[in-house]
Amino acid sequence: MNNHTHLHIHPIERLWIIISFSMIGVFAVAVLTAGFAYGFQLPVPEDRIVDPNLVATPGATAFGEPGLRELSPGNMEARVLAQAWSFTPKEITIPVGTKVTFYVTTKDVQHGFHLEGSNINFMVLPGQISKLSTTFTTPGTYNFYCHEYCGVGHQTMYGQVIVTEK
Amino acid sequence: MMRWLVRGAYGLVALIAFSTLAFAVFQPIKVLPRAGLGPGILLQDQEGRTLSSDTLRGKIVLYSFGFSRCETPCQGSQAVMQAVQRELQAGTGSVPVQLVTISFDPATDTPAVLRRMSAQAGADPAHWLFTTGEPRRLKYAIGGGFSVYYGANEEGSFDYDPAMVLIDGWGILRAEYRTPTPKIETVLRDVRLLVEEAQNSTGVARYAYEAAHLFLCYP
Ligand SMILES: [Cu+2]
Repeated sequence: MNNHTHLHIHPIERLWIIISFSMIGVFAVAVLTAGFAYGFQLPVPEDRIVDPNLVATPGATAFGEPGLRELSPGNMEARVLAQAWSFTPKEITIPVGTKVTFYVTTKDVQHGFHLEGSNINFMVLPGQISKLSTTFTTPGTYNFYCHEYCGVGHQTMYGQVIVTEK
Repeated sequence: MMRWLVRGAYGLVALIAFSTLAFAVFQPIKVLPRAGLGPGILLQDQEGRTLSSDTLRGKIVLYSFGFSRCETPCQGSQAVMQAVQRELQAGTGSVPVQLVTISFDPATDTPAVLRRMSAQAGADPAHWLFTTGEPRRLKYAIGGGFSVYYGANEEGSFDYDPAMVLIDGWGILRAEYRTPTPKIETVLRDVRLLVEEAQNSTGVARYAYEAAHLFLCYP
């Protein structure tokens, strides 16, 4: 093999290659350190953590009596409790144009929550409260369902949001 | 020449990478997350004075909610307010901290009743105010603004989801405690963190605090 066929890398090109690979290295170290040294703790605000064993007990948390409530005119909150294999409540009726904040958590295993026709789509983890807001501008029936496989009854985990005319 | 330039660039990249990692892992500065903008509010205190989100700008404000006939659901937050008041009486330096209890029952809780609530709670009016307001405005501020549910029930009382809210001097929501028994140590820690942030966020240190927000250096 002679010198002319050697692959020649320009120093600056080499610099960029090394930077790219070190970034992958740094991220891997960061993820592993966060995971193993810090126990996979996600930065979750205090009010989004809940004890999954207490969550369904009336009075202990707001999920004791899940459902829809009015916070102020035009502003509602829906608390939905997931469990294998159902959502409580199964049906939520809201007037069109109302801002609804969904709080969803689970009392057993990991589930998912996807609400058609909205931006609401999240994982539902035991011990954490998932929260997102939406406003439906068109009356109709919108399905929500669990989209994280959670066992033999997974296909029965669904419900409906009914958006009514004002 | 070229070689030194490339070596310098390696050094710089390594320095940035390691300091970023060190900042994220060791969290030399801790901050509370900025959860969103607090609502505009208009209240009257136990002396009939007006209190608003505008007059509270520049102050760290810890809000609790309740009404004079409230018993169990309000006791947890009262204990927390008392603990924070003790700390405030010991002094927090140049950063003002205000405790505000809002009653959502203005029909019953007149200024005289608010004064009685204040006395019963052992409140020092220099630090802790008892307030109420116009029902519709309260509903928008507490329900809509703080997302704290309350509503009149059949027994002539109120259903209420116990909560406390911490707002910083810019009117930004920094912490919510949605439990009947908030942990006193947690609330004290959060108030101290906000005081520290307000005190130290001058000059270059301000950028270090902004970086702490970017790296999610949450306690
Ligand atoms: Cu499921």
